[in-house]
Order: sequence, then C-alpha cells, then structure tokens
Amino acid sequence: MDLPVQQFRTKAEQELLDLYTKAANALPGANNPFVAALRDKAIKTYGSLGLPHRRIEAWKYTDLRARIDEAHLLIASLGAAVDDAALETALGKSISAFPAYRLVLVEGELRVDLSDMAGLREAGAEVMSLAHVLEMPPEWLKATLGQVNPREDDAVLALNTALMTGGVALRLPEGVTLDKPVHLIHLDGTGVPATMVTRNVIVAEEGASATVLESYGSLGLSGLQRNTVTEVKVGDKAAIQHVKFQREAADALHLGVWLANLGADARYNAFQLSTGASLARNQLYVRFDGEGSATDVSGAILLRGKQHCDTTLIVEHRVPACESRELFKAVLDNEARGIFQGKIIVSPGAQKTDGKQMAQALLLSETAEFDSKPELEIFADDVVCGHGATSGQIDEDLLFYLESRGLPEEQARALLIQAFVGEAFEQVEDEALREAFSAAAAEWLGVSAEEE
Amino acid sequence: MLEIKNLHANVDGREILKGLDLTVPTGEVHAIMGPNGSGKSTLANVLAGKEDYEVTEGSVTFKGEDLLAMDATERAVAGVFLAFQYPMEIPGVATMTFLRSAVNAVRKARGEEELSTPDFLRVVKEKAKGLKIDVDMLRRPLNVGFSGGEKKRNEILQMALLEPSLCVLDETDSGLDIDAVRIVADGVNALRSPERSMLVITHYQRLLNYIVPDRVHVLSAGRVARSGGPELALELEKSGYAEYGEASAA
Repeated sequence: MDLPVQQFRTKAEQELLDLYTKAANALPGANNPFVAALRDKAIKTYGSLGLPHRRIEAWKYTDLRARIDEAHLLIASLGAAVDDAALETALGKSISAFPAYRLVLVEGELRVDLSDMAGLREAGAEVMSLAHVLEMPPEWLKATLGQVNPREDDAVLALNTALMTGGVALRLPEGVTLDKPVHLIHLDGTGVPATMVTRNVIVAEEGASATVLESYGSLGLSGLQRNTVTEVKVGDKAAIQHVKFQREAADALHLGVWLANLGADARYNAFQLSTGASLARNQLYVRFDGEGSATDVSGAILLRGKQHCDTTLIVEHRVPACESRELFKAVLDNEARGIFQGKIIVSPGAQKTDGKQMAQALLLSETAEFDSKPELEIFADDVVCGHGATSGQIDEDLLFYLESRGLPEEQARALLIQAFVGEAFEQVEDEALREAFSAAAAEWLGVSAEEE
Repeated sequence: MLEIKNLHANVDGREILKGLDLTVPTGEVHAIMGPNGSGKSTLANVLAGKEDYEVTEGSVTFKGEDLLAMDATERAVAGVFLAFQYPMEIPGVATMTFLRSAVNAVRKARGEEELSTPDFLRVVKEKAKGLKIDVDMLRRPLNVGFSGGEKKRNEILQMALLEPSLCVLDETDSGLDIDAVRIVADGVNALRSPERSMLVITHYQRLLNYIVPDRVHVLSAGRVARSGGPELALELEKSGYAEYGEASAA
C-alpha cells in the first residue's frame, strides 16, 4: 500500500515559511539576483529540514521545535531610543563602557548615530551596514556570504540566510591591524515580540588582525527570538580574536552561530560568555583549510532559574599540523541546565593534528544539570587528541579554608565561583576584555568587582 | 584565653577525641605532642570550626565565650587562627587578592576601617619581608605551585596579617627542611606577645627547639595523657611515643 509522503509541520515551522513568502520582496537585497538566489536556496533547505528537534542527535538536549511556537519577523526597526544609560542597563557597566570602535545595531538596524564608523575606516577597515550592502554586494562579500564553512544540515543557519535583515560587513584589508577592538552591540527593542535575524560578515585578509567583541542585550522584556550568524574568514597569517557576551532578557530565545575558516598560519580565538536568555544555543563551527594554524574556542556560562544554554561546536581539521583547544566552564544554580557538545573531526591526511577539549561544570544546587558530549572523529593516525569533562560542587575544604580566614560564607563562595570561571577567562588574550568579563561575572554573582 | 573541658568529637561517626581537657592562659605557648592518631589534627580542626568534625560532648570557652556556638568565620573574626597542615591551593585566586579579602573581611567584622590598597600593600610587604617571602610569589594563584616551605610561610604571613589572639599551628614543621623550620619559627616567635596564646601541634620535638613552649601536653587516644614543662618534649624525643600507644589512624 502506498502512503503519500506528507511532511508534518508545526504552526511555527509553517509560519516561518509563510513569513519568507510574504516578506521576500521587502527583505534587503530582494532585487539583487545573487542575494535572492542565496535566500531561495536557503528557504528550501529550511523547508526540507524544519525546526531541529530532539530526535536529531546534534539537538538532543535542545528541542527547538517544542520551544518555538510562533514567529514574528521584524524587518524594519521600530526606532527604539538608545543612549549610554540604556546601553549600561542592557549590557552592564563593564561591557557597555568597554573602550572600542563601537557599532550599535538596534533591532537589527545599524545605527550610524551611535556608531564609530568613521574611526574604524580611519583605522584602515572597510565597514558597512549589511542591509545596505545587500542591495549591491561588492565582490569580496559575494565571495564570502554564505560560503564560510557552510553547513547544509543546519536549519538555524538556513533560516538566517533566508531571512537576514541586517548586520555588519567588516573587511580588514591585507596587513591592517586595528589599534583597539571592534564592539558590535546588538540590542533589541521593548514591548513587541520579534524574531530578529541578523548576520555579520568579517573578512581578515592576509596578515590582518583585530579583536571583535559581539555583545547582546535587551532594552526590556519583549519575547525576543534572536537568530544571529557571524561568518569569519581568517586569511593566511591573519589573527582574529572573536569574543561574545550574551545577557539578553530573561524571556529571550537566543540562537547564535559562528562560522570560521582559517587559512595557513592563521589564528582564530573565540570566546563566549553567556549569562542571559531563557534558552540559548551557541553553535561554533571552525574549519582549518591551511596548515600551521591554531584555534582556541572557549567559553563560560553562568545560569540560574530555569535558564538553558547549549554550546555545540565542531572543529574540523582538514589539513595537517593545526592545533585546537577548547575549554568550557559552566556555573549552574537552581534548575538551570548547561550543555556542552564538542566534536573534533580529523580528516584523512590531517596528520600532526593536536586537539584538546575540556568541559567543567560547577553545580550550585541539587537540581541544576550539566550534560557534556565530547566526540572525536579521527581519520588520521599521527595525531594527539583528547577530551575531558568534570562536574562537581563547591569544594567544602576550600570553603573552610577561606572561612577560617574570616571570609563570610557568601563571599567565600563567590570567590571560589569567580576562581572557577576565571580560569576560562584566561583564554581571552585581551587583558582589558578579560577584566571586563571578570567584572561581568562579579556582577552576575552580585558582588563588587575586586580592583587590583 | 582557651579552656577545653571533657571534649568529645567524632569524625565520620568514629570518636577521636574522648574527653580532652586543656587550659591555655593568655600569653602562653603550649605544645601538643603525641603519636599519629592521638587526635592532634582533630583538635586543631575542631577549634577552627570545620563542619565534618562533630562535637558530641564537652565545652570550649574562648575569651569567656562559647567557641562551639560560632561558625568558622565568626571564630576567625573573634581571633582564632589555624595554620593548616596542608594549606589549600586555589587556582584562579591571586594570593594578594585573597590576603586583602581576608584582612578586610576581618577588619570589617571587628568594626574597623578597611585598609586602602596602598596601606594594605605597605603592611603586606613589611610582614612578607620578615618571612623572606618574595612579593612576586604573592601575585601567583593562592598556594598553587608553592613549595612546602612557601606554603607554610604563607600561613604564617596570614597569621601575622590577621592578628589573632589564639594561634593554632597544625604540624607547621612537617615536610620542612631545617632552614625552612627556622624561618617559620622566627616568624612565629615574632608574633609571641603577652596578649596572644599559641597552641603548637607537632609530632617532633625539633620545632620546639625554636619555639620554646611554656607547657607541653602529650595526647594519647583522644585525651591529654601527660603535661609538663619544656623538658617533657626532650624526654619524648629520647623515649618515643611507645608508652602512649601508636593508634592506627590520624
């Protein structure tokens, strides 16, 4: 008996498809054949995949289909008012005031009035609003967009490509080294539930180097569903330090994807600190295409209440003699849940690969949960790869030591938690950034930062 | 200063202290000696307030107050200091940060002004110098990668900074060579004063050549078996602990 194959779609899955049909003509780049073709292909990919659910191995701990029940795409910004005080409320003092070339995206729109585009251009970078540049993308963008370590099986990425409304395109020409970090601030508005789909593209040409901080904050509760993708192409001998700070509103859904390709003798160091959103999924995909390169993909999550944060990464060694390091730390209180899935793939012929990963959780309550799933797929025989995972509570002996020196229990606990995540912050090269993160962790703990 | 009466304490349900009596008057230094398993370290931890040591009977009075009613933090603030036999290593906490947190926590709880950063640094440098501690060492994470001698000197530095009224030194000489013992002992002797009492716990008489006690007590099976003057330590050095019975566990 033949049964017709009919794909079941949830209401939200169908709504996302309908959104595309309705909005396609209004999306940036609708009249550009390159962009339109990219979007068409992506929505077909999404249509065949649907929203990821727990029966897909990579999503077994985070069932997006069960979580997303409606979608409201925001194409034009509502023009929320933003000033320094609002930034501080959204991101905290240490991050909002971080000295950098600031680029501010409010509801997906690059706000030139709040951004230091001129300074960045003077420093030698090419920077544009993605929404504008999609109307007529330059050749370098055409050669990059949707092509950095692309993943055909990723519905979140496909949705982003189909529906991207804004973001930043940043190009560092050959040999350009920025004298201070770029701070890409993403803020969503107040009041209106919105699906925000933003896309950033960073290209570092041969020998270029920079630190790029992406921060995500909320101006208020708004039922935000964020889908943000950043593509990073690291050229030969180039070095990018890519750092993220996410502290979105308590009701937010955060989907973040970073895609990176490394040329030869290149460095890509990624670090993510997450304290916000009710559900967050951070995906990091790094691929070595040139020999002699190195990456460090690390991060920390600090969660409480019923927060859920899933970090999933794949580091793919396609060529010989590259090195990858991952260190993840999770501090989980109440009923929070942290997930770390790390996969290292060593392709045939990628000899002399050196890959190591470690995930560690500190559970502050009996009901917090940490799931760790390390995976090694090794198809070469002369490699050094390893992984480890630990999960534990605060060490009572250490606590007693601190208390016996007069520290009140709360302060002693906070110090031990800071010490635990502090080890992950060591992976951040930029000292000022490291300190800003320590301060952000202290803010999360509710203690004042120790000044040295 | 310290009055212990009929103290009984359990560790993991096993009774280790079995009716210990001890009085340490203000300004005196008393040594506690005894074979392994006699309860020396248990006494030290009970005095400092470690939670997994359960007191089942008896009393401890410190400066007229019920010490057993206080938690570890309160005891430190009240002036009890334990120099650990095995100081803890805490990666991620700079020694200097830890020292300042401790000093200011204690000052705050005692109703004193917190020390400003320059004042604190001045005091630390001065005290560290006396203990031959390199300031660079204090920038490293707490006790991580420190040698045995460095860890013990760091304990004495903390003691000097927190200015306790009762110092309990738990096997501070263990694992140290003779030069290190001398530096630590000099540091301890510098803190002797008519207002401060000390309880020096040691297995060997050696340390007592440098820190000369007013009284020596021998612990055996969880009680004080014998007390005497400094000469008692010398006697033990010759005869050993055979007559006090070597118990099986620490």
